[in-house]
Amino acid sequence: MKPGAKIQPWLTLIGRILLGAVLILAGYLKVKSPAEAQMAVRAYKLLPVTIANLFGLALPWLEMGAGLLLVVGLAVRYAAIFGGLLMLLFVGAISQAWARGLSIDCGCFGGGGQVAAGHTKYLQEILRDLGLTLTAIYLYRFPQGKFGIDKEDKEIELEPKNDGDHSE
Amino acid sequence: MMETTVSEKKNSVKKAKESTTRNLAIGMVLFVVAVGVIFSVLSNKTNSHVAIPSSVSATDGYGIVFNKDAKTRIDIWEDFQCPHCREFEDIAGNYLNGLIRAGKIKAVFHPMTFIGPESILAASAAACTADNGKFLDMHTALYNNQPGSENSGTWTNATLKLLAITAGDTSKRTQSCIDAGKYTKWTNNVEADAAKKNVNSTPTLFINGVQLNQAHYLDLAALKKDLAAAGVK
Repeated sequence: MKPGAKIQPWLTLIGRILLGAVLILAGYLKVKSPAEAQMAVRAYKLLPVTIANLFGLALPWLEMGAGLLLVVGLAVRYAAIFGGLLMLLFVGAISQAWARGLSIDCGCFGGGGQVAAGHTKYLQEILRDLGLTLTAIYLYRFPQGKFGIDKEDKEIELEPKNDGDHSE
Repeated sequence: MMETTVSEKKNSVKKAKESTTRNLAIGMVLFVVAVGVIFSVLSNKTNSHVAIPSSVSATDGYGIVFNKDAKTRIDIWEDFQCPHCREFEDIAGNYLNGLIRAGKIKAVFHPMTFIGPESILAASAAACTADNGKFLDMHTALYNNQPGSENSGTWTNATLKLLAITAGDTSKRTQSCIDAGKYTKWTNNVEADAAKKNVNSTPTLFINGVQLNQAHYLDLAALKKDLAAAGVK
């Protein structure tokens, strides 16, 4: 056992709760005000209006679903891939808004749409999402944590390793 | 040897069961997500079967229309709870109302409701007064009495009924219209249409279909020039 092997399941648990709770909260706040969520997506001026509107309606449910899976520890790897790609997408979208000189709120936790120039928080938003991306990468690498439903899978996955698989 | 095989078998049966349960749980989450998406999409579409105020039509984006035959047309997207809309009303409200009352412009009001439940109450109450020809007065009254914070519980059907009376609409029909929340579902149509038209902030003003320069919202002289250029005398 490598040092840190004991702490890893706990780190995974913390990561799952962190990313999961953020996703659930973000989804919940948006699902309550769908019109505003749609507006937030449109304000990025990235997608055709029809698709932006659909995205604004679908995204909160997807976030809540992925968040729920992470919190209960189910299909952690897939949920982490989804969450991580989502965060990267947000980083890209916010960066392009910043680069293009748009004045918008990211709309990450409800709200969103255009804001007055000088009231943008692009750097904080990008750093936060990058932090969550790193969390997602960690969860992808170490999906097995404490109090997760996936836990039982560990034994299945570990069995071949016991037969001389020289992995980590 | 025999024992190991039996326990291995038991183990694999157990694991198979667990993985079925697990897949079922994942499937349920995905199912709920799919149902949620479908629900959101359906509930945010325009619905042609809901009650709409008398001057409203789908062709004008479900907005409340004044002077439908005037040449110059303005479209205003606003939310009665939005602070910038109040600023715009303070600056340009009197002027625009004057033009509308004089019949010089076609005006289409699109009261949006993305700020929340009290926006819906306010918009549908305003629509009730529109049926009685008092929309502009109610419009002014709503901004003059805009609560300091959003969805604070200040605007209820009871307070909005009083506001309608203060604005000069004392008709019983308006009172019962507000009470019944007759036009709350219509606000959903306005919102869905605004989404289609890519309205991303309030207030948004279009003059003959062209969006007003951002700097002109709080500059009455510039707005007057724009309207003059669009044919308003």
